[in-house]
Amino acid sequence: MTDGPAGQLLFASDVRKTYPDGAVHALNGVTLGVREAEHVAITGPSGCGKSTLLNLLGVLDRPDSGEVFFRGEALSTRRDLDRFRARQIGFVFQSFFLLPTLTARENVQVPMFEGMPLSARERAKKADGLLELVGMEKRAGHRPMQLSVGERQRVALARALANDPALLLADEPTGNLDSENAVRVLDLLTMLQKERRLALLVVTHSDDVARRADRVVRMKDGRVLDDGTAR
Amino acid sequence: MHFATFILKNLTRRPTRTVLTVLGLAVSVGSMIALLGISENFRESMRDTFEKRGVDLVSVASGASDQLSSEVDEGIIDKVRAMPDVAGVDAALVELSEMTLREPRDENDTPPSSQVLVQAWLPDNFGYDDLEIRSGRKLTPEDAGQFRCMVGYKFAENNNKNVGDTITVLRHKFTIVGVFKSFNLFENGCIITVLKEYQELSGRKNKVTGFSLRVNKTSQNPDEDVERVRQRILSLTDKDGKPFRVSVERPQKYLNDAVHIKITKAMAWLISAVALFIGVISMLNTMAMSVLERTQEIGILRAVGWPRGRIVRMVLGEAIFLGMASAFVGTIGAVATTYLLAMSPKVNGFIEGGIAPWIIVQGFAITIVLGLIGGAYPAYRAARLMPTEAIRHD
Repeated sequence: MTDGPAGQLLFASDVRKTYPDGAVHALNGVTLGVREAEHVAITGPSGCGKSTLLNLLGVLDRPDSGEVFFRGEALSTRRDLDRFRARQIGFVFQSFFLLPTLTARENVQVPMFEGMPLSARERAKKADGLLELVGMEKRAGHRPMQLSVGERQRVALARALANDPALLLADEPTGNLDSENAVRVLDLLTMLQKERRLALLVVTHSDDVARRADRVVRMKDGRVLDDGTAR
Repeated sequence: MHFATFILKNLTRRPTRTVLTVLGLAVSVGSMIALLGISENFRESMRDTFEKRGVDLVSVASGASDQLSSEVDEGIIDKVRAMPDVAGVDAALVELSEMTLREPRDENDTPPSSQVLVQAWLPDNFGYDDLEIRSGRKLTPEDAGQFRCMVGYKFAENNNKNVGDTITVLRHKFTIVGVFKSFNLFENGCIITVLKEYQELSGRKNKVTGFSLRVNKTSQNPDEDVERVRQRILSLTDKDGKPFRVSVERPQKYLNDAVHIKITKAMAWLISAVALFIGVISMLNTMAMSVLERTQEIGILRAVGWPRGRIVRMVLGEAIFLGMASAFVGTIGAVATTYLLAMSPKVNGFIEGGIAPWIIVQGFAITIVLGLIGGAYPAYRAARLMPTEAIRHD
């Protein structure tokens, strides 16, 4: 799994990250690979560096040292990281982060402004298709405040798929959901990952979530403790 | 969804704040449009008058800032009129005078007085030809010495006066013989009376404040004809052989150089600048608050791949939309204000309702620039947000 970037969709090589005050070494040389269509869960106690790693893998932040590769290409050499993120990576957050003034249909269209060029009509049509995929087609015209938390996460999932990414990064995707909604969202994530052959990297505290992954990476104190398989 | 729709929806997040910002900015922009509109109407009305009356040259005392502060020896009028190339001369003594509209009721009663613009004209002024008589008649040479006057229709409406009524100017009772409408804004709110007797009353015997004239343009080059007459007037001398101290200009140059027009315009711009500065601060405050409140959302937008440029366009777009809405509301307010002012007796018709389209276009353009200035710093702040930090922001 950690042989090198070749053959991996995403590969982090000895990445390190220290926060500005210098006191916290969030990541201490993490090397981790994710293959195409692989489902990986990252677990570990709070503060172990899971979310920092997710941010680096999602190019939301840069490592202090080390390198992140995408399909063998070093991302530090790319100048268009925003576009890269828009087209290759989908994010699902614990707190959904839907825009309150937009309807579900409009929220799903937000990433499309930076995706492949589409007309407004095409964007709306694609958003409707994605909402149907997550079972939210009847709620397309509702704003986030009019939706249950489970529904909001499903809309957020549709938004993450807006530009047909190769990689889905999910940070505690069921953290704010009750057990019934959590199962529903997890089923949906798993189904989409399989059907669309997405690489899925989930950061979670939940054993239930981790058990669904092809591989579970355990972290502690900014290091990978165990890079094994769950089943 | 279009990007513009997205921007507009952002403005609906806090509708009360949006409406208050628009109203605040509309007051700034509306003030500017109204003030510039009024000063432009002022200038335009004079330009229009010169044009419609076919005036080729305007003369006032050299160094005089405007006609009200000018004084020219009347002797020059006959000399100008005698020039073969001069088709007509329109001379006037223009003054702001004290006026009372009624007689004292008893010896202890002092009727309220106000200022009125009096234009004392020569009987053969070509300006008479353009006056549309609403009631009564025009002044004639036979009215000399009779203390008679004509009044503009605005003056008549605002002061409830008509033919046969009297008004007291410089403690002399004048009888109104006609009510007229002119295409000149100021004439509609003024009194026109006979030059000779008004010169006596005002203690300015044989003086006029200025004159305008028409030139017979007979050559291939009319500009040369006018210039020739201009030079001749400048070379005229009084009975003592001294040159008359007058300036003679084409109407356009006269208007461009007229100090009272410049002052009006400068005042309009000065007040507008203060109002616009307040508008920029208001816009800056609104947009800064809006960006601060949406820090987390902006982080999400960055996370889903929006580049800094699109974040900047979003914030500036919101500022421009606010500016455009303000300009729209401000324009309606400004136009309504000028019409209301025009109807007010206090201004005696000196303000014309309506605003020139180019002033409105200018107002919109300035408001867009204002929006860009007010939105620039918040947009810069928004674009610099790091997605990871912004998402963690509470």
